[in-house]
Amino acid sequence: MDTLPLLLGTAWLLPLASFALILLFGSRMGKAGRGAGFVATAAIVAAFVLSATALTVWLSAHPIEAPAGHSSATADSAEHGAAAKENHAADTHASAGETTAAKKIIPPVAGDWYELGAFGTKRITIGYYIDALTIAMFFMVTMVASCIHIYSFGYMHEELSEVTDHQVTLASGQHLHRRGRFHRFYQYLSLFCFSMLGLVIAGNIAMVFVFWELVGICSYFLIGFYIERKSASNAANKAFIVNRVGDFGMIIGLMAVWTGMGTFSFGDYEMKDAQGRETMRPGIFSQARPAGNDFQLQAPDGMVKFAKRDEIAEIVQKSENAADAELQIEKRIDGWRKDGFGYGWLIVAGLGIFCGCVGKSAQFPLHVWLPDAMEGPTPVSALIHAATMVAAGVYLVGRFYPVFTPEVLMVIAYIGCITLFIAATMALVATDIKRVLAFSTVSQLGYMMLALGFGGWLAGIFHLFTHAFFKALLFLCSGSVIHATHTNEMPRMGGLLKKMPYTGITMLIGCLAIAGAGIPWIIGLSGYYSKDFIIAQGLVYQHANPLHGWLFYFSVAGAGMTSFYMFRLWYMTFLGTPRDKHVYDHAHESTPSMLVPLVILAVMSVISGWKVPFTNLELPALLTQAIPSGTEEGAVSNLTKFYIPAEHLSHESGVHFFATGIAFLMALLGFVLATAFYGTKRLDPNDARRTFATLYRIFIHKWYFDEAYQKIFVRPALAISGWIAWLDKNGLDWIADNSARLMGLCARLDDWFDRKFVDRLIDLVAAGTYRLGIRLKALQTGSLRQYVMLLAVGLAALFMIMNFYWNFAMSKM
Amino acid sequence: MELLTQPIGLSHYLVVSALLFVCGVACMATKRNLLGVLMGIELVLSGANLNFVAFGSPYLQSKSLGMDGQMIALFVIVLAAAEAAVALAIALNYYHTHATVDVDKADELKG
Amino acid sequence: MNDEFARSEYCPLTTDHCPLISVNLSDLLQDVLSSTTGPLMGSFRPEVVISITILVILLQRTFLPAWKLGAFYLMLLGLGTAFYFVVPWHGTMEGMKSPPPFTGMLVADSFSVGLRTLLYLFTLLLIPFTQISGVPKREDAAEFYVLVLGALLGMSLMVAANHLIVVLVGMEMASLPCYVLAGWQRNRRFGSEAALKYAVFGAGAAGVMLFGMSLLAGALGSAHLPTMASKLIALFELFPQERSAVVATSGLLMLGGLMLFVGIGFKLAAFPFHFWAPDAFEGASAEVGAFISVASKIAALGLLVRLALAFSAVPDPGALEKLAPAREYLVILISTLAAITCTFGNLAAYGQTNMKRLLAYSTIAHAGYMMMAVAAAVAVAGNADRSGAEEAIASLVVYAGIYLFMNLAAFAGVAFLRNVLGSEDLHEYAGLVRRSPGFTVCMALVMFSLLGLPPLAGFTAKFAVFKALYETGKSPIHALLAIGVLNTVLSLFYYLRVVKVMVIDPEPADRTAPEIPLRSAAGGYFFLLASFMLLLFFFSGGVANWARRAVESLLM
Repeated sequence: MDTLPLLLGTAWLLPLASFALILLFGSRMGKAGRGAGFVATAAIVAAFVLSATALTVWLSAHPIEAPAGHSSATADSAEHGAAAKENHAADTHASAGETTAAKKIIPPVAGDWYELGAFGTKRITIGYYIDALTIAMFFMVTMVASCIHIYSFGYMHEELSEVTDHQVTLASGQHLHRRGRFHRFYQYLSLFCFSMLGLVIAGNIAMVFVFWELVGICSYFLIGFYIERKSASNAANKAFIVNRVGDFGMIIGLMAVWTGMGTFSFGDYEMKDAQGRETMRPGIFSQARPAGNDFQLQAPDGMVKFAKRDEIAEIVQKSENAADAELQIEKRIDGWRKDGFGYGWLIVAGLGIFCGCVGKSAQFPLHVWLPDAMEGPTPVSALIHAATMVAAGVYLVGRFYPVFTPEVLMVIAYIGCITLFIAATMALVATDIKRVLAFSTVSQLGYMMLALGFGGWLAGIFHLFTHAFFKALLFLCSGSVIHATHTNEMPRMGGLLKKMPYTGITMLIGCLAIAGAGIPWIIGLSGYYSKDFIIAQGLVYQHANPLHGWLFYFSVAGAGMTSFYMFRLWYMTFLGTPRDKHVYDHAHESTPSMLVPLVILAVMSVISGWKVPFTNLELPALLTQAIPSGTEEGAVSNLTKFYIPAEHLSHESGVHFFATGIAFLMALLGFVLATAFYGTKRLDPNDARRTFATLYRIFIHKWYFDEAYQKIFVRPALAISGWIAWLDKNGLDWIADNSARLMGLCARLDDWFDRKFVDRLIDLVAAGTYRLGIRLKALQTGSLRQYVMLLAVGLAALFMIMNFYWNFAMSKM
Repeated sequence: MELLTQPIGLSHYLVVSALLFVCGVACMATKRNLLGVLMGIELVLSGANLNFVAFGSPYLQSKSLGMDGQMIALFVIVLAAAEAAVALAIALNYYHTHATVDVDKADELKG
Repeated sequence: MNDEFARSEYCPLTTDHCPLISVNLSDLLQDVLSSTTGPLMGSFRPEVVISITILVILLQRTFLPAWKLGAFYLMLLGLGTAFYFVVPWHGTMEGMKSPPPFTGMLVADSFSVGLRTLLYLFTLLLIPFTQISGVPKREDAAEFYVLVLGALLGMSLMVAANHLIVVLVGMEMASLPCYVLAGWQRNRRFGSEAALKYAVFGAGAAGVMLFGMSLLAGALGSAHLPTMASKLIALFELFPQERSAVVATSGLLMLGGLMLFVGIGFKLAAFPFHFWAPDAFEGASAEVGAFISVASKIAALGLLVRLALAFSAVPDPGALEKLAPAREYLVILISTLAAITCTFGNLAAYGQTNMKRLLAYSTIAHAGYMMMAVAAAVAVAGNADRSGAEEAIASLVVYAGIYLFMNLAAFAGVAFLRNVLGSEDLHEYAGLVRRSPGFTVCMALVMFSLLGLPPLAGFTAKFAVFKALYETGKSPIHALLAIGVLNTVLSLFYYLRVVKVMVIDPEPADRTAPEIPLRSAAGGYFFLLASFMLLLFFFSGGVANWARRAVESLLM
């Protein structure tokens, strides 16, 4: 277990080394920088190998036992669920209860690599927090990133030579010619991998924030990779700025954490106290869910004290010394906590952190940047905007989960639900293949947030993983199509299956995965399982909180819409008659370097929900090890009446059976509709468009968010900046210029004085000395006789001087 | 004035040597001829020599320099000879380059 | 009576009575041998080696004229051996005071060892310099080196003098070869004129000094310096009673001391006895100029220290206060001369365009600084605690050692540039930085060091002397310190003018002279010397320690 920090730390730093190498030598590596690709790929593949090793180390230390009644893919559960729905409900509940009670708390491997600064009892460090979630994330991120690195060899091939960018027109009317930037791409990819892995391994929230920003910057670089295109640079700006809005909230959350809990560290850490002894101090999770409270959420001491700071000040004043004051406070603190003091700050902390996640994961209302981010090259979209970076928000929600109060979780659920719905509607009508996938990503992220808000930690996180695989697959396939057809617009595609069979088949697998296809209650693709968990948790939630039941109904509707628009996409691209002859003629299958990753990801999309044969190893079970202590039990909100149900309730076979049925039904519905519209062409999409014209307009304009933001935020901001600029130019600059002129005047005065008087004086002295020197030179006349004469004269003079002195001295004696 | 009437004692020798010394210095300082200057040097050295001998004589004073005086005088004679030799060689060299023994003509180095 | 003679401090041949009758020949021989052979095998070994080297070079000149570099190698060998003999390899210089060699004529103590080390080291550095610069030519090299060695012998005597005759003989031995060396280049008008002025002036000064010595010896009744000191103390003890006699004698002593000082002043080129220096330096070649400016200056300072301290400090602490009048006299004399000398030297250098002349005046100024240290030493020699005077003399030794390198480097630079440019005029040096940047930088380093800027050795030297001046705590010496510091400022002008001309002035368009790359013999030698400027600064602690060891038995 000690090797885990070393393994993961090295895996984390390898992409940084690759970045540094490419930064320094990239343009010289190989022909036109081709070597940079090898360096970066080698680094990330090595990181993947290390992550896999870390996984085996973890599994050997914490083997996965056979779960009772929770597994998804064994034949047992099928009978189990079918036969004994009622009888076994109690049993399974009990057994589930036993299992959860018997779920041993696997302590995470937490520690610090380097301390950056210490302020009394608070410190900022570079540290790690490794649990099953970390290891699984490392595995997934490095695997997906490796696939994408390999894929980019083929996709970015044109960057190896001079590029003519057809989307940029110069003033002269010509298209832009520029040098290829192959190595630059891999440089940014490496930096991104480093940042993402750093975010995952971070042991404290401050480090998360730093890497949060770093992935934002990498996203900026990569979206704006084709920097000469106005659309791309605008999109990059938009992504960064919108992210910043979210980060503003995150900083507030960070401040609340720092003030209230006194530390950023997730896990417990050692520190020297006032006497110099090393003591364990509690980290964020231990403060929010102390073992003494049975790992239930409570306001941490610091927040309670902060809320009651006036009264504490009074106590300190009235008591005689510090120890006495401490005692008094300790007596009262539980009472204050019960009265609810400090709870509000906990909510603030949670909401603040979630605000950052809203920005990063493109949730409503900060979802506007993700569709535009498709301006970047497709591998970028696949890696960053599908699989990893946007998942970082969900990951952080999952990581920070123990600290979220039920109120915060409700907010998360609402936002997630709204997001998934509106994004799905936008995807229904989009025609750019990457836009559809982008909206789909936003929608799926909404699903994950919703699941987490429902209390389904495992569901949300599991969906994160499966989504990473099939979304990356879908993007890469679309990239393959775009590379072949040189267009993003689906109306110009069609019938490409004959020309690009591999791409088509793998994309079909992806579509099936995302729709949640499978043979219900028996087996399915990865998306089937993860979506099941979410729907199941939703069912339980809706049962517990009927008032908020509409969240569940919307999510179900979203599932249907997902299936619809994904198959719509597939049909429009690959089936039917080609709508553009030119495009069809040009289309060709991609090179093996692009196909192999597709196949790998397709395989992962299929199997990532299954168990490894002959073992108990499966992804949900691994993730179960990482469920934060105390959160399995559900929670009750303090402020209003609602419950967060315990997750294991969703695993009850009855619930599960029902959920599976619903999910499959919706998927089937969507599939049928899509086939009708676009597959068999029984129904005409144009008719639907006309019928639902208003809805169509709303959807195609993305619910007018961009226009709204432009009016509400962008225009006023530009106006204000215009006024300030005017003020600066005419007001402040006037002041600055004139004071500079005044200074100039003073300086000239000073100079005049210096030149006239001071310099004269110095020149006088210098000239005087020089003249004296020249005069003395004249003493040496060159005449020997004069020299001897001067010798005698000098002797005589000295004698007289000494005589005078001597007489003077003698007379005194 | 008493010196002129007293028997020859130390002071007479001192006066004579002082005279020699002053003559020598005057010679060095005023003569234009290089050889005259060298003669002046010799005069100075002679004056000093006389001084030493006078001081070294046990007959002129009780607490005299003793043998040191005579020894020093011998050394000085040798040194004067050596010096004269060297000075004459240099004077010859000067004559070869300047074609004169006029000391005043040696004024190119000045300032 | 024989025992008494044997135990007496000086030559047993002189007593109050007429001794010749009662001396035993065998005793005489024994005394002579014991007091002569001892030192010959001991402290006087270096001088013996030098004498032998002179002989061998002359013989080689006569019998093996075909061996062109013979003089060079023999010189190196001889000097190397002398250097080996003079350096106290076992590390300590204590206990070198007794017995005084040659029946008290010389002193063999750490000070003479230290100064002789400096002298021989200097000459060892000078020999390659002369070979590189080409003066003297190979055919005449033997005579040149013989003259140098002769002068060196005289200088070795000067720094160890304990008797007036040794003072005279040493001075004359040191000066005469220098007269000849000044006129070495036979067919140059300047050379002959320079030699003439040097010789005449020198002879005159030597004559005056001799007269002064005679007055001193006569008045004090002895020519042996420690004996003279004790006689002086006895004279001062008589003071309140026999006032007139004391006053008369002290008048005579004063004159005698002053005239003695003329000779030393001549060697040191102190104002107003410096008139020979600018002409001699300008007329002589730069190599000879280096020798005269460094070696004879060091020897003269050694002699000054010997004479001054002989009359200011005696081993017996009880008699120390009695010498106060002598000390005061010496302090006034030396400090006045020092102040005038260094101011005059610095100011008169302003108008110079000939590099050698400029360096001559710079030499005069540096002599002024060094005399200040002697004044300080004499001023505090009366304290019961000898360390003040020792520190002052140690600072003088430090200055002398560093001055050795600085001046040698300066003259070497001038010599090499003369070989390349054919001129010693400052304005011919314009814009040298473009052709020979390395050489110019080294030259700048040397100039800055002469000026006394840190982090160069010249600063260490000046700082040591000024520190010693300051620590005397006496206000006349502090006034001297102020003058010294002021003079450092005054000297800025002409040193920096050299650097300015070499670096900033534009190169004349018609210059065809080749450059001096640092890889050549000349450049490498110069670079080595210039690097000492930096090295000696950074190892100043070691230099100071060595200097302190050199003076530890001086005042015992």
